[in-house]
Order: sequence, then structure tokens, then C-alpha cells
Amino acid sequence: MKLLTANRLSDGVTIWYAAEGWVEDAAHAARLDDAAAEALQKEWTQRETEVVAPYLVPLRDNGSPVQREHVREFVRANGPTTGPTRDALARAFARQDVFED
Amino acid sequence: MYQYDAFDHAFIRDRVADFSDQVARRLSGELTEDQFKPLRLMNGLYLQLHAYMLRIAIPYGLLAPRQMRRFAHIARTYDRGFGHFTTRTNLQFHWIKLAETPQILTELAEVEMHSLQTSGNCIRNTTSDHFAAAAKDEFEDPRPWCELIRQWSSNHPEFSFLPRKFKIAITAAVKDRAAIRLHDIGLHLTPQGFDVYVGGGMGRTPALAHCIRRGLPGSRLLGYLEACLRVYNRYGRRDNSFKARIKILVNALGPDEYKRQVEAEWATMDASRIDPPSDEIERIRAFFPLPDLSDAAFDAAAHARAETADPGFARWVKNNTHPHKRDNHVSVTISLKPIGGTPGDASADQMDVMADMAETYGYNELRITHEQNVVLPHVARADLYALYRRLDAAGLGTANAGKITDIICCPGLDYCSLANARSIPLAQEISRRFEDARLSDKIGDLQIKMSGCINACGHHHVGHIGILGVDKQGVEFYQILLGGRADEKAALGVITGKGLPAEAVPGAVERVAQLYLKLRKDDNEPFIDTLERLGREAFAEALHEPA
Amino acid sequence: MSRPNSSYEPQLVNRAGDVLGDDGIETLDFDRAVAELDGLNGSYAVRVEPAQDVRELLPYLEHIARFDIVFPGYRDGRGYSSARILRDAGYKGALRAVGDVLRDQVFIMLRCGFDEFLLKDRTPSETVVAAAKRYSVTYQSAADAATPVWALRRAGAA
Repeated sequence: MKLLTANRLSDGVTIWYAAEGWVEDAAHAARLDDAAAEALQKEWTQRETEVVAPYLVPLRDNGSPVQREHVREFVRANGPTTGPTRDALARAFARQDVFED
Repeated sequence: MYQYDAFDHAFIRDRVADFSDQVARRLSGELTEDQFKPLRLMNGLYLQLHAYMLRIAIPYGLLAPRQMRRFAHIARTYDRGFGHFTTRTNLQFHWIKLAETPQILTELAEVEMHSLQTSGNCIRNTTSDHFAAAAKDEFEDPRPWCELIRQWSSNHPEFSFLPRKFKIAITAAVKDRAAIRLHDIGLHLTPQGFDVYVGGGMGRTPALAHCIRRGLPGSRLLGYLEACLRVYNRYGRRDNSFKARIKILVNALGPDEYKRQVEAEWATMDASRIDPPSDEIERIRAFFPLPDLSDAAFDAAAHARAETADPGFARWVKNNTHPHKRDNHVSVTISLKPIGGTPGDASADQMDVMADMAETYGYNELRITHEQNVVLPHVARADLYALYRRLDAAGLGTANAGKITDIICCPGLDYCSLANARSIPLAQEISRRFEDARLSDKIGDLQIKMSGCINACGHHHVGHIGILGVDKQGVEFYQILLGGRADEKAALGVITGKGLPAEAVPGAVERVAQLYLKLRKDDNEPFIDTLERLGREAFAEALHEPA
Repeated sequence: MSRPNSSYEPQLVNRAGDVLGDDGIETLDFDRAVAELDGLNGSYAVRVEPAQDVRELLPYLEHIARFDIVFPGYRDGRGYSSARILRDAGYKGALRAVGDVLRDQVFIMLRCGFDEFLLKDRTPSETVVAAAKRYSVTYQSAADAATPVWALRRAGAA
């Protein structure tokens, strides 16, 4: 299973592909089977005026990104792990951090 | 400082219009991302983990108070209320929107600021000595030459699509406070002219620059730089971006052959068209007079009383002030490395305070250093206590300049899409480990420099202790390097021991520091001298937990 | 979403914005030119790839009516140096930019001495004319006639 993620062109915000379309909250990111993920990634690579550099994040069985990508995607999903914006995304989305190990 | 004339204003106006048009065409799809990317990089806009990052140029590190206040305004209006000062003396904001960038650039242009060529395969910001015009060991103020180079390199038509980025640094003092030998071109101004060093740099293949010319007259500087750049543009590798810097070319040809090609090229150029006559450098130099420094007598007794009453002030004077040409003045380092803070960050409020302090006590001048601190180059000693109290109240009074907690650190994997590992949390841990002021003062001058990846934005190759984040199957590991130096005795640190997980690094640094205290020949032998005297091997074992 | 500008068929335009037809000049590749131009009569065009050294052709400039300087990708900046070297050497013929030639590079190409462009653009003629005016200020000398700012300052034009 994979997640599809990208940055929005106009403001660069990190976005995640969900059932309802692109969302800013990684907690809603859709887990896609590999075939659907590949097809969507290909489609959105063409839609350059909407998103930039869409790519796939492989998942472990527990639904969190594979070890190789884990820190990076944790940071993208939850914001910087330190500093004044620590927890800002969790608070904005009224949830705990996602992709916890 | 340099004041824009009508030409300079017209240029950045044209630049903002040009980039605004490019943004519009990207948003509409007329430009593909692949075509737009080098254009946005040449205007300082990266796409990072959270949003776009805008890198604003601070030419040769020099800022006026109104410019610092404009940064505060941009932080509040367009970002998250703070900014990050970098090792190339620029400023970064991490949550910028592409669609708002033209407006931001317009507001920067109003105070003679821009983001020109802070990224991309072009000539970047020329950096220099943060104590320029103030330090006793200086031959001449290098900053007029920085401004001359800045203008010459702006939108240079031949050198806008180089094999890779190109970084220039200039010093004109005995001590090298700009790390010139770690630059693509380093220039050392002496009474005989410029000594030209080429082919230095950090990253995957670190190298110290070679001197290819001594005593180059300033009147020939730009032509010589053109020749150096042209040889690089024509023959630098373009097949592999990891082998595309000029250091690779200089190494492959050998410095003598590179010099021969440069000087052959130089001989073909019409100097009268490329080298401005001396009135241009004189015109620029007129913008850099020494300020009208106060004659206020320094009341040593009053100062001593203040130090006795306030030991924190005494520490701050000892650690954060640097001797000045005028005995009744000093240069002050405002540390942006509070214990447990993010190295190099300043909040919008802190930016306003620094602007105020520069106006009240600092003759309207601020400098950003390549160590991610801020300098007030001219401060009357009579004003030090008042200044310290204001800085301390704003969290800007940390008395650790050059000490073990004055850590140079890139944003790392908390922000940067190039990173392998996070760097800031580890810097914070190390900082807290040494927060005892007596301990850190006892250790004395010790430069830790940290990078989250091999691109070396944290200059880890030239830290006395360098720390490099590496990726081990997604687990953050850190290699320790020992023995780097960024000064006139420039040296590259050597990887020592195996990679360590994050939790092992503060202890490793602590054991190295404790071993240094045990082995130094006296209290005056700094860490780097002890390390060089005894060799890295003496410290290698200390990096790992005792069995 | 508009189609990318670079998806239009390349058109040959000169700096005045005129659309050019085939000038009928025979084009030689670089190696052949170096080997044979000495013994040939008449005028030829020579195609120069980025890694090729235009100085090897300086002895034969009188036989070369046009250089086609190749930009295989717009990020390959070697063609700017090739053009400037030719103009510095006094070459007065046509310098044509070919390959991945896009609107945003035309201004600096003009400054380096190019006067013809095989340009991928929706409106190539208008684009080349507009590109010349992108910047009113040039800080440094190049291969064009623009006066660098330091010289304008000397002349008191501030």
C-alpha cells in the first residue's frame, strides 16, 4: 500500500491524496493499492498547475511510512519536530501526530 | 553602506517584474516546472518539506536597521513570525507562498533588498569579514570590493547557467573570518593587491582552494574573475551534478594548468570594457566611511563595578566583544544560539530589538556572520551595559560567542528536502549538555558545526568538531569529524570513528571535551591546538562509550 | 491550464522579430568545418555543440556566414561563452541559437551576441522584441552595445 503526496503549486503546502481529493491533513491520506497509486501519481504528474512533484510513499503493514522514509514523512505530516511551530499542525487539525512509530 | 542610485533601483524593479511574469506563466502552465525551477532558484525560491523557502540576500552580511525591520514585517505578514540566518549570511523564511512572492520582493525592493541569485547555478552572494572596518588586523575594508563584485555578477549574461553554484568570499585582514579557502574563489586583499584562491569548497568532495595568483591589482579584478568563470563555464563538468563544482575542474587540470587557461583567456579580453576605471570603486568606497565614532571616555571603574554587580554581564563582555581599532569601542556579537534554541533563528520581535539596538548603540549598522550570529561592529564601551541589558531581556544576550554552545547548524530534515537527518534537535541537546556557563567557559573556544546532509550547509568540514547527518536505512546516524578549521589555517575535518545514533552524540562530544580539559597543556591552550598537537587518534576513543 | 510555451514548433526569428526562411547556406558540422574550411570557397554555416571550442574556427571566420550554437538543454550555458568569444574576436556574421531555446533566456542571449533564434514560443516575434527590453540596466559589459552602469555613471547619466 502507498500514499500519494505532493506540494501545492500556489503556496507550496504539503498535501496528501485522500478519498475526497487533496488534503493538508496527513491523517486523512488514503492508503492506495499499488496499481491505483501508480496511476494517480502518473495523472497528477501531468497536472503541473495544481501540484508539484507528486510521489508515492510506501507503507508498512501498520500504515505508517516505511522506515527508509519515516522521519522525512513524519516531518512533512506533522511539521518541524522542534521550534516555535512544533505541534502547530497537530493543534490545527485537532489530532495527535500521525505516523507515530 | 551602499545606497542604490536610480540604476540600481531600476534593475531590481525590472527583476521583480521579470520574476512576477515568470510566476504568472508558471501558474498558468505556459512554463513547465522543469523550465521554471532554475528561474525560481535564481530568485531564491526553493520548494522544501513544508512549503516554499525564500532565501533573501544580505550582500556581504551587511544590514541597515530598516532592512532588519522589513525582515520582521515579512516574518509576521507572510511567514510564521521568525527567520533563519544562514552560513552564507543570507536569511531564510520557510513557509512562503509562490503566489505571494512577487509582493514580498516588491516590499524588499523598497528597502534595497532582493533575493537575486541566492540559489541556482550562478554566482551567489559574496561574503566577507563580519568585523570589516572595525578590526585592528585589517589592511583595508573589503566591502567596497564585495559591492563591486555584487553588481558585476548581477544577471551576468554569460554566467547565468554555470555547471553549478559559484561562491566568492573576500577578506582583507590577517585573520580569515570569511573562510576564503573554502570557497570557489577566495580573495585575500593585501597591500600588494589580491591573492586569488580557486577551487575550495565543502560537500561531497571537500577541498581547500589553491592560490593561483598573488598581488592582482584591484583595477584588474573583474576581468580576472571573468576569465576564471569563463574557463569554468566552458570546462566544468555537466554530466554529473556531484562533480560539477570548480574544485573538481581545478583538481582534474591541476592548479597550474587551470591558471594557464585562465590567464590565456584573460589575455584575450578587452580590459577597458570589463574593468571599470578606478572612479567606480572610489564611488562605492565613499559609501563606507568609518562612522563618526563617539569620543565618550570609557569609565573603566564604572564598568568594573557593573561587571562585579552582574557576573552575566562580565561573561558577556569577555566572550562576546571583540577589540576595535578605537580603544573606546568594541565589536559586539549578538548570539543567536540561546541554550536549547534553534541555531541562527530570530523571531520578528528579536529582529526589531536588534534594529533598535543598532540605531541606539551601533551607528545604524548590523552584520550577519557565517557563524549565524549578528554583529554590531561599532559599539562604544560606555554603552555596553545598557546594550547588554536590552539584549538579555530579548533573549539575545547569550554569552557564548565561539564557545561550545555557539553551534553552527543547518535547518536539516525538520525543514530541508535535501537532508538525510535532522540537525536542530541534536544541536539543542548538545547545547543543553553544556549549558553550565562555568563549564563552557572553561572549555573555551570550540567550534561545533553540524550539517543534516553532505551538502554541508552547516560547514561541518571546518568545525573543530564536525557532525554530519547520514541516512542508515531511514535511521538517523551521525558521523563525527575532528580537526576542521575555517580560519587562515584552514583545514578539513577528518571522519573519526563509526557513525553514532543521535542519542549517543552529546555524550561523545562531552567525553571529547572532558578529555581535552585533561590533556591540554594549560588553560590557555585552545581545543583546536590540543587536538592538532596530540592528533585526532588521541580523541577517537573518547567518541565511543567506554567498554 | 495553458499549454507550455515550449510545446510550439520552433520558429526562426531575428532580433528585430522578423520570421526568417531558410537562407540556403550549407551547414557543416564542427569537425568537418575545422578539417575542410581552409580549402573551401564561399560561405558556410557551422554547427557548434557545447563541448566544441569555437576558437578552432577563428582562422576561418571569413568563410563562415553563420554559426548555429547549440543549447541541447536550456541549462547548458556553454553556448553563451561560445557566442561571446566569437563576438570578442570580431565576428560580424550571424549567431543563431538553436536547440532548447526559450523565451526566458533570450535577453541574455542577445547580450552575448546572438541575433537569430530558433525559438519555441507561442509568439516568437513579439517575444524576441520584448525580451530585448526586459532589463533597462546592465551592470557589466558583454557582447552587445549596451553601456554598463559604471560607464553611464561616469558619463553623469545617473
